[in-house]
Amino acid sequence: MPSNSPLPTILVIPTGIGCALGGYAGDALPAARLLAAASGCLITHPNVMNGAALYWSDPRIHYVEGSSLDRFAAGELLLRPVRQQRVGLLLDAGIEPELRARHLQVAAGCRATLGLDTGPVVTTMVPLEVSLSLGASGVSWGQLGRPEALLAAGRQLKAAGATAIAVVARFPDDPDSEALAAYRAGSGVDALAGAEAVISHLLSRELGLPCAHAPALAPLPLDPELDPRAAGEELGFTFLPCVLVGLSRAPDLLPVAAQGFGDKVLAIDAVGAVIAPAGALGGAAVLACAERGIPVIAVDNPCLLSVSAEALELEVLPAASYSEAAGLVLALREGIAPAALRRPLSSLQELG
Amino acid sequence: MSSAQLHPLLLQLERQSGPLLAQIEAALCCHGRPLRWAITAVKQRPGEPPLLQIEAVLLSGPELHG
Repeated sequence: MPSNSPLPTILVIPTGIGCALGGYAGDALPAARLLAAASGCLITHPNVMNGAALYWSDPRIHYVEGSSLDRFAAGELLLRPVRQQRVGLLLDAGIEPELRARHLQVAAGCRATLGLDTGPVVTTMVPLEVSLSLGASGVSWGQLGRPEALLAAGRQLKAAGATAIAVVARFPDDPDSEALAAYRAGSGVDALAGAEAVISHLLSRELGLPCAHAPALAPLPLDPELDPRAAGEELGFTFLPCVLVGLSRAPDLLPVAAQGFGDKVLAIDAVGAVIAPAGALGGAAVLACAERGIPVIAVDNPCLLSVSAEALELEVLPAASYSEAAGLVLALREGIAPAALRRPLSSLQELG
Repeated sequence: MSSAQLHPLLLQLERQSGPLLAQIEAALCCHGRPLRWAITAVKQRPGEPPLLQIEAVLLSGPELHG
């Protein structure tokens, strides 16, 4: 295989675990861009790419919702790149009229200014009743009181021709909470992330379409000390632009039995590396890849968890930064054994 | 409208030998259809297999169809 051919690579930075890089408003995007250049083909998820008002589109980056990424890694789904998706907009009935109008303006603006195929728009029959919570580990989780209402609206969009779905749910405002203050100061967990993941996982899994979520929230008062990593979320009235842009080129999700697509689809067999924070290796995508023998690059990226390679007895390639991870991806792509780049060089293994 | 519901789960699982993913999925499936899960801690125990802490959100209720 020529060394200039892409090495499909999965990048996972779990949402809601307080990663120093990637735990905020799309602040893993520079790392994703670098890894896309190093690999020629990067498969990653909305938490990495979504910067609310800020986004980046790169044809080498495949935007795949987290549970679909898990299923891709498990060999249950194929990814088929497309030129454009028709992104339906699913709005929570719990959104107030003015905030709703702001979101509709974003969808219309993305059509007018970026040329995206957005619409139609469907509103749920009842408010979705989103609630936020933290797990035993401090990880962000969340709940949805009316999952059936979400799915009914999603089915309506699919029947009307939407090939991807952007969901906007009304999230609880809590402008005075300590957790929000810590997040805006760059030291906390994104409290919204867990519930966001649950919403998009449910919809994507049940409908088989690319889906992603943007929370609807009242604007926050100005914080002059705002951490730059969280700034993308305070530049506008909504978090929706990045979701519409990401979904507009998200690959189709095909069952693994789908045939007739030849080399136009991506399968897990083609993946040459998976990259994840060194303390967060206990997720479905990473474990599935490890069990398939795909090299795992474990990056030093502090977070709430300590689920390390040692704890799980996994063999990994350690990387001190995403820059080093990009170097390892490039080495794998070029057919250079990563061990040859380290000193001391281990001796050859001799079988008895 | 049927009564599908999401519910959180905190699970302690003693790791057995062999592939880990199948062990976790088998443990979660007893409680519903897993929507999101992660190993959030690993407790090492002298002379015993490690204990995995798993946090999850599961879907329970009637089968939903897309």
